[in-house]
Amino acid sequence: MKLLKPKNKQLANVVQFHCSMEMTKFDIKNYMEKIYNIDIIEVRTRIAMGRTKKDQLQGSIIKEDDRKIAYVVLPKDQSFVFPDLFKDAKGEFDEEIMNESKSKDLQEYVKENKAPGLPGWFRI
Amino acid sequence: MAALMKAVHVSKNMNNIMKLFTNLSLTPNVITSSKHVFLHRTPALHCAFIHITPDNRDLMEFFDEPKNWGRNEVKVGRSWRKDELRLKSNSDLHKLWYVLLKERNMLMTMEEVCKDENKIFPNPERLDKVKDSMNNLESVVRERNRAYHMLETGETGERPGKLVYNCLGLKFYHRMHQYIIPKYMNRKWHKWHKFGFGGFATRRFLRLYREKIWNQKRRARNRDKNRVAVLMSKFPNVDIEAVKQHFPNVDLETIKTLKRARGHHVPE
Repeated sequence: MKLLKPKNKQLANVVQFHCSMEMTKFDIKNYMEKIYNIDIIEVRTRIAMGRTKKDQLQGSIIKEDDRKIAYVVLPKDQSFVFPDLFKDAKGEFDEEIMNESKSKDLQEYVKENKAPGLPGWFRI
Repeated sequence: MAALMKAVHVSKNMNNIMKLFTNLSLTPNVITSSKHVFLHRTPALHCAFIHITPDNRDLMEFFDEPKNWGRNEVKVGRSWRKDELRLKSNSDLHKLWYVLLKERNMLMTMEEVCKDENKIFPNPERLDKVKDSMNNLESVVRERNRAYHMLETGETGERPGKLVYNCLGLKFYHRMHQYIIPKYMNRKWHKWHKFGFGGFATRRFLRLYREKIWNQKRRARNRDKNRVAVLMSKFPNVDIEAVKQHFPNVDLETIKTLKRARGHHVPE
């Protein structure tokens, strides 16, 4: 069961989940109420068909798995806003990290080669 | 003088211990700050109150802690081992299962979000660790269940099954289960479950299939034999014990007599 970010605009008290195909509406209701202690008014489900696409290398056609999507309706006075998780995210090529790895790589490169049978200055 | 020194030392130690006790006492601050105070179980140590997971059961449990949002690396420990889980009580395992389940849901949600945003999901091995822990936990519970059933009823209590032949004459393990409709009325079941085989075509298929398997085995045998012969010809001082260990099915005595195993050097 995973919480999905809504692609289309939803009401404030509707939350989307991706659950296993075997789960029924009643299963989902019990799951949320018993394990996560969430009040639920209604559960609606649909089965979203997986996208069909062409493989880049072989050109064969690939279909992603179908998945069951549940729309869980919370009580009227409650609301759920999907949090912005990457608000202050550091990029993959963060300056600090890059500088650190640069100096580390240089040290690694300048270091004496200790492989047996090879001179210390030898590197590939 | 030495005795006096000793006495002073002892009194110092006592003082230290007393100090420790005063430190250990529960201050009212600590009690109010923690939601769960199991006074009958937890020792009166400060550290016992630090590692309590907050019990906020709501939708934000599907997300990681806010301090881990957008980070490139999230450090976690290892998965639960079977030996550790065997020491736990049934109720503890029951609780741990739901902790793991929630963790898995959280990780899957975070993975999905990262995928949507074209970001790298930090430390994806966390999912594997949770999966591993859950598998271990389930196997431990099953172990206990089996032991209990064997004691009480003399049967394992597992889902029953049997080895049967399919239409092609190949053996497979059929796992049985309960049905609402009696077997003689269940036409759909009979449509999908065809056991046993017969007829000329199936027998011919089986004959050819067995030949194929036999040929594969024969080729493997010959391959090993040739490999050992080449080894012996190239390296006359080869470690025989190591070769025996590596190729247990090869008869070294017969291979030594082969011309292929002789090598291009003067025999000693």
